[in-house]
Amino acid sequence: MSEVAYIDAIREAQRELLADDPRVFIYGQDVGDFGGAFKATQGLKAAFPGRVIDSPIAEDAMAGVAIGAALEGMHPIVEMQFADFSSIAFNQMVNHAATYYWRTGTPIPMTLRLPSGGTPGSGPFHSQMMESLYAHYPGLVVVAPATVGDAYHMLKESVALEDPVIYCEHKLLYRWLKADNFENDSLPLTKARITRPGKHATVVTYSAMVHEAVKAAERLSEEGWEIEVVDLRCIKPMDTDTIMASIARTGRLLALGESFPWGGVTAEVVSRVASDGFHLLDAPPMRLNAKDTPIPYHPDLWRAHRPTPESIGEALRKLLNF
Amino acid sequence: MPQLGESIAEATIVRLDCAVGAEVQADDEVIEVETNKATMGVTTLCGGVVKELFAEEGETYAVGTILGLVEATEEEIARTGVSVHGEEAATPEEPEAPRPHDYRPGEEEESYLPPKVEIEPSVQGLPVPAGGSKGAHYISPRMRARMNELGLQGADVSAIAGSGAGGRVTVEDLENFLGYIEGWPSSKASPMRLAVADAMRRSWTRPLATVGMPIRLENLLKFRSAQNPKPGLTLFVLRAFGLALRENPETAGFLVGSKIVHPKAYDIGVAVQVEDGVLVPVLRNVDQRSVPELLGDYEELVAKGREKKVPEEAVGGGIATVTNFGTFGLRWATPVPLPSETLILGMGGGEKVPRWDEAKGEFVPVLEAEFTLTFDHRVVDGGGAGLLLKRVSELLQAPEEL
Amino acid sequence: MAIAADYQESACRAARAMVTARVLEDKLRSLYKAGKIVGGVYLGRGQEALSGVLGTQLIPGKDVFAPLIRDQAGRTGFGEDLLDVTRTYLGSVEGPMRGRDGNIHRGRPDKGMPAMISHLGAAVPVVAGILLAKRLKGELDGVVGATCIGDGGASTGAFHEALNVAAVEKLPLVVVIANNQYAYSTPNQAEFSGNLADRAAGYGMRGWEAKGNDLADCLEKVGGAVAAARRGEGPQLVVADLLRLSGHGEHDDGAYVCEDLKKGPLGRDCMDIAKEQLLSSGFIEEGTWENWEQEAREKVTEAVALTQREPTPDAHGEVWNACKAVGAETY
Repeated sequence: MSEVAYIDAIREAQRELLADDPRVFIYGQDVGDFGGAFKATQGLKAAFPGRVIDSPIAEDAMAGVAIGAALEGMHPIVEMQFADFSSIAFNQMVNHAATYYWRTGTPIPMTLRLPSGGTPGSGPFHSQMMESLYAHYPGLVVVAPATVGDAYHMLKESVALEDPVIYCEHKLLYRWLKADNFENDSLPLTKARITRPGKHATVVTYSAMVHEAVKAAERLSEEGWEIEVVDLRCIKPMDTDTIMASIARTGRLLALGESFPWGGVTAEVVSRVASDGFHLLDAPPMRLNAKDTPIPYHPDLWRAHRPTPESIGEALRKLLNF
Repeated sequence: MPQLGESIAEATIVRLDCAVGAEVQADDEVIEVETNKATMGVTTLCGGVVKELFAEEGETYAVGTILGLVEATEEEIARTGVSVHGEEAATPEEPEAPRPHDYRPGEEEESYLPPKVEIEPSVQGLPVPAGGSKGAHYISPRMRARMNELGLQGADVSAIAGSGAGGRVTVEDLENFLGYIEGWPSSKASPMRLAVADAMRRSWTRPLATVGMPIRLENLLKFRSAQNPKPGLTLFVLRAFGLALRENPETAGFLVGSKIVHPKAYDIGVAVQVEDGVLVPVLRNVDQRSVPELLGDYEELVAKGREKKVPEEAVGGGIATVTNFGTFGLRWATPVPLPSETLILGMGGGEKVPRWDEAKGEFVPVLEAEFTLTFDHRVVDGGGAGLLLKRVSELLQAPEEL
Repeated sequence: MAIAADYQESACRAARAMVTARVLEDKLRSLYKAGKIVGGVYLGRGQEALSGVLGTQLIPGKDVFAPLIRDQAGRTGFGEDLLDVTRTYLGSVEGPMRGRDGNIHRGRPDKGMPAMISHLGAAVPVVAGILLAKRLKGELDGVVGATCIGDGGASTGAFHEALNVAAVEKLPLVVVIANNQYAYSTPNQAEFSGNLADRAAGYGMRGWEAKGNDLADCLEKVGGAVAAARRGEGPQLVVADLLRLSGHGEHDDGAYVCEDLKKGPLGRDCMDIAKEQLLSSGFIEEGTWENWEQEAREKVTEAVALTQREPTPDAHGEVWNACKAVGAETY
């Protein structure tokens, strides 16, 4: 196989899901002949006529339709054009899909694909990270793959799962992130991965920030620091064991996320480590997130808004010098 | 190659709609390209003449690559506000750094960190720099947990030079140290030793200071030799100390938060050296009983102390202790008070020394001993401690009244 | 108004559902007032004819019915077990919601009756989704999906989005708007402008207007809408005017309801109208209606008694995990 990109992983996973499982169909805006705003469904409608369905611009109804279809035993995939727009579908996801199994015993095996995160010029409404919001609600599984292999395997696992899954795919990785093939290390869906082993500090992160963290770790290695990078992969449930084991090795935590700074995944990581792993810590656990403003349009503002290898490096130096 | 759509990394040249030497107008579509998303035209930003074309049909170029150059007049440049390409024109083989409109994960060259503001620490309070080193004495929760596992106290690791931030001892340093001393001769510390160690460690958390002065003993020794049975010298000192403290109750207080807690009774302990440690049986109401009245209790307690059998009612609750280090042949020492007490009075060994007698105009031999008073400086000051010691000296000059 | 003889069987089925619902809800009201039911009790009093007809026009085991809060008659007509009602209201572990959710939130998705959430309009796309899935599975032929909403819920974005989707996909969806004149306490003039039935044209679907407290008219209009959907004529919107003959819930006395409305034609109890219509059409004899009531009372009493002897949930033994496949120990 020649080089494959993150977006290819998402498309090919969906192609195979459609081919292998008659319960799967895709519903979303422009996903049909047009192949989706990011071409994640390109060619799929032609290959699977009737099962790749264009929806009106109606995110609430799209999610509601998927819930209904899931009740009927289907495993629908709903593509939001941008994660940001899923705020319109939020009620259906957190109040309807998320509560259904616990209330009635009937599961909702649907997957909501969220093209997430910032790219230069995308601005306030095409750059958001929504995982923290969904993760807050009981009954949803939230995943955020950072690699080509994970994008492929985790999407297949998500769609097969009996629970509703929020699949956060990062737009920045769509075409930039490439691999030789779709293989990964067969980690179970809900397990975190040690992307880079180290011994002086741990960065717990996910999605595109994994790559920023690795870059920062490479720079710090020139200064003699060995930074461990943990890729959560699955936001909820969170693999606390892997995080704790890493902190036990390093004694220092930087929780890193691209989302807004108030609460959220990084706060959850810090909270767990502080509560259950206080005795493992050599320094107060730290967080690094985007700034507490809407996501800016201009690339220079955008770069300063989100964590970068430089700001991650700064945070790590501070952590290491405590 | 412009960023023609979100998440687009590159595009392929479908057709060159211009040639070198061709005249173009601003906003002409001069190159047709195909992205993963669509096919569209690339426009020129200003009018002029196509000077160079690096792009080739069918080839794919990264976003940010220079596809060609247009030569424009100064007026056209001013009119359209375009940026001018530098002398070092990039070629497709050496594409210009793909900035600013594309971004690969993990790439960051320019600094977007806010400039650092150096904040001077101020003794008057804020602002002080947040975070930063907490110094070598800081024990992190992780280090504390490891020390607890090993049954170690902070003082136990004082021998270790730390390699951590601010010179702090890390778990790794600790493990290295334990490895280093492994195999050295060692013995098990007795429970008595550990108890003393714990008490001294706790006491040492306070700022302790010591004052001292020689006290003449002739009257005391003379009076004592006339008694039968002969009370020990320490008992007289104990009694004098008790009376002096009652006169200055503030010096016997101990500090808890913003409160000085004063003694309910003047109970004073006496340090008794035993094998591998010290015991301190406490004599009650020393201020209210004379030496002869105290004598029986005192001798019994000292004797029981030596047998390590201090009775329950004589344990703890004292406000100060007297220790006679002179019995070890010592002249001067700075004993450490018990953690629950503020003061300890130490007696050095008696000695005949020459003292200048102004009346006689000559040195005369006198019998005196150095007394030292160690105190918690949070509660007592040097002056107060000195007055207390002086008062003990005065009282000891009239032993018959004790 | 007499009812055509063709409707005898369906009219009687609807009427029996109405009677059972009214008797059952009177009991629920009593249990609430006796402190046996916690939370809310929301009654369909005044809406039984509309709801009962809708429920009985649908085919259990084949069709889909997503009831809203005033659809006891429809639920009963669609085959809901009385015990599902009493067990849910009283929090029995034997009920479909096992004490995890209560009152009118209950459902039996496996029997074509989704469990509603409190957010109005949210159920409409769910029914559309079920129908879309049946189409994908090749099982849509002759199937109808129906749901109810009120004059208030018709203001939500979810309602609009779902009707649009159903129209685009030409799904056999029947949406019944019970316009009971008040969204909680908000009267129609503060809730929407114009005629609700006109909206059907806006979505490109067929609209029906019914007298919501008139069994005969409901049979004709709601029956007509269900039949049209079943024939493959796409989504149908029924708007029925009626008056809520109770508060919004039993905690509410409905003091804001205009006296003129109560005294006018909308204020007439659909039960009285239905009974008259059945008698005048010769579908039932004198005393039949009362026999139905007596029979319903006995069944309701039995269900309540059985439920009260059943265990309530054990918080210590509860499985505190909202997911099926993951996250039992960690979240």
